Amino acid sequence: MTSTRSMLMTGNLAAAWGARLGRADYIPAYPITPQTEIIETIAKWVRTGEIDAKLVQMESEHSMLTAAGAASLAGARVFTATSSQGLLYALEMLYNIAGWRAPMVLVNVARALAAPITLEPDHNDILAARDSGFLQFHAETCQEVLDLILLAYRVAEDSSVLLPAIVNLDGFYLSFTREKVDLPSEEDAAAFLPDYKPVNPFSASNPVSKGATVLNGALYSYFKYHMHASSLRARDVFEKASAEFERMFGRSYSPVETFMADDAEIVLVISNSFSTIGKQAVKRLRNRGIQAGLIKLRMLRPFPSSLVARYLSGRRGVAVFDQNISLGFGGIIYSEVLTSLYHRRNRPQLILPVIGGLGGKQITIEEMERIFEATKNELGSESPEPLFLMRSEELERTMNLVKTAKEVHS
Amino acid sequence: MIIRVRFHGRGGQGAKTASRILGTSCFIEGLNVQDSPVYGAERRGAPVTAFTRISDEQILERGYVFDPDLIVVMDPTLLDSPAARVTDGIRKKGVIFLNSPSVTHITKQNIASDFRLVNFDLTNAAMEMLGKPIISSASAAAAARLIGMVKESSLEQAIETELEEIGLSEETIEKNVLLGRKVFSSLEPVELMTEESSRELKIAPLELILEGNGLEDITAAGNSSVSRTGSWRIFKPVVDYEKCTACTVCYAYCPESALTLRQDGKPVIDYDNCKGCLICYRECPPKAITLEREVVAF
Repeated sequence: MTSTRSMLMTGNLAAAWGARLGRADYIPAYPITPQTEIIETIAKWVRTGEIDAKLVQMESEHSMLTAAGAASLAGARVFTATSSQGLLYALEMLYNIAGWRAPMVLVNVARALAAPITLEPDHNDILAARDSGFLQFHAETCQEVLDLILLAYRVAEDSSVLLPAIVNLDGFYLSFTREKVDLPSEEDAAAFLPDYKPVNPFSASNPVSKGATVLNGALYSYFKYHMHASSLRARDVFEKASAEFERMFGRSYSPVETFMADDAEIVLVISNSFSTIGKQAVKRLRNRGIQAGLIKLRMLRPFPSSLVARYLSGRRGVAVFDQNISLGFGGIIYSEVLTSLYHRRNRPQLILPVIGGLGGKQITIEEMERIFEATKNELGSESPEPLFLMRSEELERTMNLVKTAKEVHS
Repeated sequence: MIIRVRFHGRGGQGAKTASRILGTSCFIEGLNVQDSPVYGAERRGAPVTAFTRISDEQILERGYVFDPDLIVVMDPTLLDSPAARVTDGIRKKGVIFLNSPSVTHITKQNIASDFRLVNFDLTNAAMEMLGKPIISSASAAAAARLIGMVKESSLEQAIETELEEIGLSEETIEKNVLLGRKVFSSLEPVELMTEESSRELKIAPLELILEGNGLEDITAAGNSSVSRTGSWRIFKPVVDYEKCTACTVCYAYCPESALTLRQDGKPVIDYDNCKGCLICYRECPPKAITLEREVVAF
């Protein structure tokens, strides 16, 4: 390990550093809150010559991702970032880029989807890209944002994977939040992440067909099965890469992080920035003699089913915190956790669905504690009531706002 | 009782409409019917397949007809197209109808099961009646007659219904009715054996699908050079070099670069790749390009 310096930085700045230490060559960009600061930072570095990259402002996220995928195939290491409506506007290109097997890295700064319009985060934007073929890594801290970008390039570009990746960080809770980040040296980052070597790159004088038309179900299935297998392989590749990362930088990243979970009776499953509050709740409950624990999903695609099953089998109760909602069903991660456990003989008695933090709704430590309590109370229930988090004072304020808005209108 | 009919044609010939006319004519007879086409990106001349299922019971089938009782081959050149797989799955003693003045083409085919062959030159009949090689009504009429369950009046009503639906003029519809009547009266019903055929099922193991590195990709920069689109032609443009003035208009208009220029500036047509769009024929100022019916596959 050579020189490492520590800095206070926002999640957005950490993402920009991920692109910088990852030596991205090409950054197509389009502004959207709360992601814009990433691109502004990179633009500044390009202007001052601190990084040697080409940054191009496009006319939309759709064009931005199209350019990103094409440049990745041409042999550039590509970085770009978006949020929310921007991600959805580009969504059809995500499927294309994955099908092209272009190993670019996209940062999504989570922001809830309209309507109603807001700027604060939940995960319906990033989970809309769940089935696209992009690998997904979700960050809890600004440090993780930076480190997961480097890891994402390593895994995406691995010759047994060749799929693009998204690193997700929560708007505001990480994007504009400053905390200490250890910055690897450029030399160490380069040693961990060697230059990108494209497979069959194309150029103006060497045209190559990518994502050819098949018009045939068997052929289409054949390619989709290959993409699925490649995505599943990414888990092993990630674990190997993170072992090397730990040797070099001293920070350990499993696809699933466990927190006080070894002997826990009730375990909370959670991802992203609110995991921090969940951990604090677990500590407080432990102090009161309650055997609480937490697992944090860091890798969402491929979904680490076997790890989830390993950590949750034999527990009395599990709660799944979904900061998203599939309207007309419930939480998205809930069903994935359930699927991972269903065939286990010693599956938990109860898996409680929890919806919270939609549109960035704040979550207090007490609300996190309540999740454990509710899980305990529902043990033995055949149809547990899903928990929709909202504090009474929040409801009261909300009703007042709605009332005021109606009065102004009439 | 269920009868499965599979139409094989080329884009623009009317295979889809044929399957619908047959479907509607059986529907008028009070039968249960299901018809559907399958084709790629819209492209005149490319292989098109369409299906009509007819039954006196509820039809619990959908999609591709793997084992047809009757195959209607609207363009005999398709018999030589490995992509079209025209005769695949024909049932034992099933019937292949060939749009052709002769049945010599089919003898090239090495088909194990014993099928029966019927032929009629639908294109010629369509040229006489409509002045165009569009054989939707003619093909439907042939199929309707062969299966023997459709009255002539029901066929006529079905032709009118379906051609009105696609917005053809009354005059064109009337001509199509006459064409359908002609084909209908020129053929005789055949007895269709509709015994259940048993298909062996082998599922490809996933390991085999993912053999190798599992990163399969098609990176060839286009494969049109190996696909001989010349077989798509119904008419062949032929240059009369006496009349040709070497004006090169045809060369400028050919959308497929299937025309090259000789030393003297007169065009040479690459028949392997000319799709028969006939733009050269339409644009030629001295009318030095004429048409010939394409009858033989190559």
